[in-house]
Amino acid sequence: MDRNGELTDDDRRLAAERSGLPEATVYGISTFYEDLLVPRGARHVRVCTGTACFAATADAHVHELEERLGLGMGERTEDRSLSLGETVCLGYCHASPAVRDGDVIDAGPDVVERVLAGAAQPAPEPLIKSLLDEPVLTRAGDWSGLRRALSESTPEELLEAVKDADVRGRGGAGFPAGTKWEFTRAAEGERKFIVANGDEGDPGSYIDKVLMEDNPHLFLEGMALAGFAVGAEHGFVLTRSEYPRSKPALEAAVAEARAQGYLGEDILGSGVSFDVTVVEGAGSYVVGEETALLSCLQGLRGTVSARPPFPAQRGLHGMPTVVNNVETLCNIPFIAARGAEAYRALSLCDTPGTKLVCFNERFERPGVYEVPFGMTVRALCEDVAGGMRDGREIKALQIGGPLGGILPAAKLDTVFDFDPLTAEGCMLGHGGIVGFDDRTDMRAVAKHLLRFGADESCGKCFPCRIGLRRAEEMFTNGKPVERARLEELLEALELGSLCAHGGGMPAPIRSLLLHFPDELGLA
Amino acid sequence: MIRIEINGEETLVPPGATVLDAVRQTGREVPTLCFDVRQAPFGACRVCLVGIEGARGPQASCTTPAQDGMKVDTHEPVARRVAAAVVELVLSELPGPPAEHTELAEVARMLDVGEPRWPGERHPDKHDEAHPYLAFHHELCISCGRCVRACDEVQGTFALAATGRSFGANVAAGLDEGFRDSACVACGACADTCPTDAITEISLLHLVDQEPVR
Repeated sequence: MDRNGELTDDDRRLAAERSGLPEATVYGISTFYEDLLVPRGARHVRVCTGTACFAATADAHVHELEERLGLGMGERTEDRSLSLGETVCLGYCHASPAVRDGDVIDAGPDVVERVLAGAAQPAPEPLIKSLLDEPVLTRAGDWSGLRRALSESTPEELLEAVKDADVRGRGGAGFPAGTKWEFTRAAEGERKFIVANGDEGDPGSYIDKVLMEDNPHLFLEGMALAGFAVGAEHGFVLTRSEYPRSKPALEAAVAEARAQGYLGEDILGSGVSFDVTVVEGAGSYVVGEETALLSCLQGLRGTVSARPPFPAQRGLHGMPTVVNNVETLCNIPFIAARGAEAYRALSLCDTPGTKLVCFNERFERPGVYEVPFGMTVRALCEDVAGGMRDGREIKALQIGGPLGGILPAAKLDTVFDFDPLTAEGCMLGHGGIVGFDDRTDMRAVAKHLLRFGADESCGKCFPCRIGLRRAEEMFTNGKPVERARLEELLEALELGSLCAHGGGMPAPIRSLLLHFPDELGLA
Repeated sequence: MIRIEINGEETLVPPGATVLDAVRQTGREVPTLCFDVRQAPFGACRVCLVGIEGARGPQASCTTPAQDGMKVDTHEPVARRVAAAVVELVLSELPGPPAEHTELAEVARMLDVGEPRWPGERHPDKHDEAHPYLAFHHELCISCGRCVRACDEVQGTFALAATGRSFGANVAAGLDEGFRDSACVACGACADTCPTDAITEISLLHLVDQEPVR
């Protein structure tokens, strides 16, 4: 890829020879990941088409770049000096629109001009702020939780504390982390693994990015604690190639932690061992699903597998595996250091602990904020993030990623917590909040989301592979959208799909049908 | 043994059996596309959906383990409706109606799915006819993965693999160079399991002169 700007059959044969994989298998892998599909020129420009960038410009930055570079998406100039691709998403949602020129990610209203002038500059990193006096996730990791756990508690006691703290997964599904750990601990296997899901593919979310890149020690401490609790001696982190800073930041922190004796063999003389390997993905949204993630980590196509077996029983290399989201693991050091009671006391409602939320560039004060569960969405959007910039009004929000429903402005008093958002057809998801201002065309939002959904389907289960393309076509074929047919299709996607991708894509479309039917061009 | 109820009839299946195993044991039929009894269940086509009491929505019977006390309804209306919608989607990705004798055509008849009402993208024509015994018409491929599993699990040759993603998913032999230049040993297991005639065995009978009738 780096040498020729594209994969050749010779590259594939070499990969097959080195890996011992059959040539056909290598071919299959090489035609799955976005990074391997788009030909590259000497200079490769990637434009972010994520939802925050869409909310900022309605894709004007994409069209302008295509027009002025004279290249369509996925095209390369004949002399191979320049190529253009799209990427979803670069995680610079606080400063949209974003463009990656080679290894430089630039963002902001004038980004296209700078890229065209060959003067791209690194975009500013986001504001990070806690509303709590005693932050859980935005305090610097100091390994105090691991030190205390190793000296004062047994793995069983730590597991009990995590269960008492009722930590629900922060990556989308909200599954209790303690239960996953308990299953993995109880499962039989000669080795066990901790896998951290750093594939934060949800457009509009840059929470795990901030945790991995700016607070890697807290996160690694969470992984080591998980290893201690379930009896795993090795952990893997899968990071995204769209976040080029993540892997180097984590690897540097792993090296520091080894030097300080917090990772490696016989940690702090306890007899407990745990080490971490960081692996970078190659561009696929569905790899954020846990079975696809494990497949990707093993170097295979990132497609989804039916569960059972669950990773806790048969995961990485067939061994019992905990798969936790990055933010989920970042909650553990506080619990290990301070106990479940102190953790539960932080919340304003029934869901214990705190949550990171992030806001897109449409807000007056975008950034990543640590908040207690139980505030209203209005308080978050208006008091914390300062409302929409330029005196605009909020028209709607998408919370928790592309599989989350869309909350209209009239519902801003909904409580920011798992169940109240679910009741509105929305979800907490990753906790990314993308605000659409009053100029947004909601039919264009539907098109944007369905295009993303169809392109990112892993292609394994039939409803998602074909159904999302048909749904996209309903909004792009120039004809009025037949509501009854659309609802039939949404039902097949929701109930028929193998994973949450096909199953979840109908949620925002249903919200749009409910709250903005007049804008959708329905028949 | 596990005691499970299929449409009100009780049956016993061994541990490790799936709901589909139990259904078939009672002599009932649930349509399937990506399932082949000789291969590990794949769970991709979502056509074998059934209703299970207490479950959230229809479940794929091929990948759901049978559990004691489970009550299964193979005629559950939502499951049937979704399965039919999926088969209609499958028909809509092909260039034309499936050949009458294929499993896909049979499944469409079972679910009463006629001509698909979906206009839109179809798979482009792509033919591999260079091999003496096997032909691959890629536009007829529905990515059920049966040929790939037949090659991997049954034959152990690993000449086929799933390729692409989203609507562009398909299957390739070797480095997509066709059967002849791949590791294929011409066993025919892929053609035997293919539910759509995407992979077929080339008949040599037309090369033989018909014996004159005396």
